[in-house]
Amino acid sequence: MITLRGLTKRFGSTVAVDALTVDIAPGRVTGFLGPNGAGKSTTMRMVLGLDRPTAGQALVGGRAYRELRRPLHEVGALLDARAIHPARSGRAHLRAMAHSNGIPIRRVDEVLDTVGLDGRAAGKPGRTLSLGMGQRLGIAGALLGDPPVLMFDEPVNGLDPDGVRWVRHLMRSLADEGRTVFVSSHLMSEMQLTADQLVVIGRGRLLADAPIGDVIARGTVAVRVRSPHPDGLAALAARLSAAGADVEAADRNELTVTGVTADQVGDLAHELGVRLHELSAQAASLEQAFMELTADSVEYAGGAAR
Amino acid sequence: MSTLSRHGVVASEWTKLSSVRSTWWTALAGLLVMAASAGQLAIYAANDNTNDDPTDDRGIVTVGSVLIDSVELTQYVVLALGLLAITAEFTSGTIRTTLQCTPSRGRVLLAKAAVAGAVTFALGLLLGGVGALVARPVLGEWGSAPAADTIGDIVAVAAYLALVGVLALGLGAALRSAVLTLTVLLATLMIVPLSLQQPDIDVLNRIADGFPGVAGGHFLAGDTEPYPPVVGLLVLAGWAGAALLLGRAALRRRDA
Repeated sequence: MITLRGLTKRFGSTVAVDALTVDIAPGRVTGFLGPNGAGKSTTMRMVLGLDRPTAGQALVGGRAYRELRRPLHEVGALLDARAIHPARSGRAHLRAMAHSNGIPIRRVDEVLDTVGLDGRAAGKPGRTLSLGMGQRLGIAGALLGDPPVLMFDEPVNGLDPDGVRWVRHLMRSLADEGRTVFVSSHLMSEMQLTADQLVVIGRGRLLADAPIGDVIARGTVAVRVRSPHPDGLAALAARLSAAGADVEAADRNELTVTGVTADQVGDLAHELGVRLHELSAQAASLEQAFMELTADSVEYAGGAAR
Repeated sequence: MSTLSRHGVVASEWTKLSSVRSTWWTALAGLLVMAASAGQLAIYAANDNTNDDPTDDRGIVTVGSVLIDSVELTQYVVLALGLLAITAEFTSGTIRTTLQCTPSRGRVLLAKAAVAGAVTFALGLLLGGVGALVARPVLGEWGSAPAADTIGDIVAVAAYLALVGVLALGLGAALRSAVLTLTVLLATLMIVPLSLQQPDIDVLNRIADGFPGVAGGHFLAGDTEPYPPVVGLLVLAGWAGAALLLGRAALRRRDA
């Protein structure tokens, strides 16, 4: 369980994180979304006691990170896959981490095996690791203390499709074991596949904290209409606009309509006697919902600043 | 558990220091500089001496004094060990991993100080031994090496280097940048006290005596003026301790 209470971080006059109050619960994957610069990484750094909050608090299992004596047993985190000494091998990096928290050294080889880094890759100096290998090493470090809480900042960056799928399965199985899994990403499609719960922030403010299905359902659903008769389609478009729908003509034979249901469009077409070849509700996407959520936040913040 | 975890943090810092090649290259560089410096100073001492009259003070120097003079240059190589133990963490970003593993800033810095101090002390013993082995034959008839004194000087050199190493570590934690820290160290150990001593005004000399390099020098030379050698050692240790406190304050206050 990660608990954020009025968590706030200011850098000079810039508010990076603004009074964030959220609980990240165990047993599910919580996605952490927001545009670049929304404050995701700063929030995670505050949870780990690396940045000091200007106000509010971030607690892990009810305690402040800086009070933890052997924190790797409580929280595992991957923040920056590039943060390894250029001359130190991945294995030595993990050994140093293990020593500091009294973790048996054999655990190093276990987690290396879990993340799929073989002996040769783990022995190479940090500077020669690819971003993908760095991510795997960072994840290995997070798993080292077998902690109940895990945080990953953009874990699939630089991974090949195989690696992306592996991370997805890993997150899922960690959550299924009852752990708290908090993952930030800017890849909406990936989040849609991985997360159960979403925390969305924009400009440091909380925009949504809801099950992923609810967030997606908030997004606009578009209806696609195709007809072999451009004139009839034009008439339909005019009636839909008059009824308050948002109509976009993809080409002479196709419309994309939002603001009304597919049923309503079908009824109207029947009334006008327009022959249709397609009438389909487009699947709602997280990406669409996210764009709408954050666009509002940006407008709102811009308006407030003026 | 408290002792155990302290050991763990020390083991962690040792793993970090020993797992990068630059540590070993630095140690090797220290050995070469020491050998070259001791050799050269021994040649000077031998060449300066032309007095063959045995009733005069013939100007025989001890191997220990050559060692001590060689440290003046060699220390800048050795203190790089203390310096890099912390500044490399800032450069590579591993400081965040370190603080994630051990959130207590004081504990991290103490463990680093223990490792850097022990490593520079051991290296200091080795350097002293190598310097003595090089200087003795070069000095020839113009040198002497009473065993007890030479060993005492070697241990003193090691203690001096360990404290300078810890001083570098503390300053590095406070300043973060290796170049900036090295500049401040050069100024504190050499440039400022030298400038103060230049005009040979009593007050300025007194102030210079409070600087770590000068105090350490008095300790190494076994001076009884302006204070006993042990006071010189304590002044240097005080600087090292103050640097650690400064470093801990900076680590606590600033975001990593």
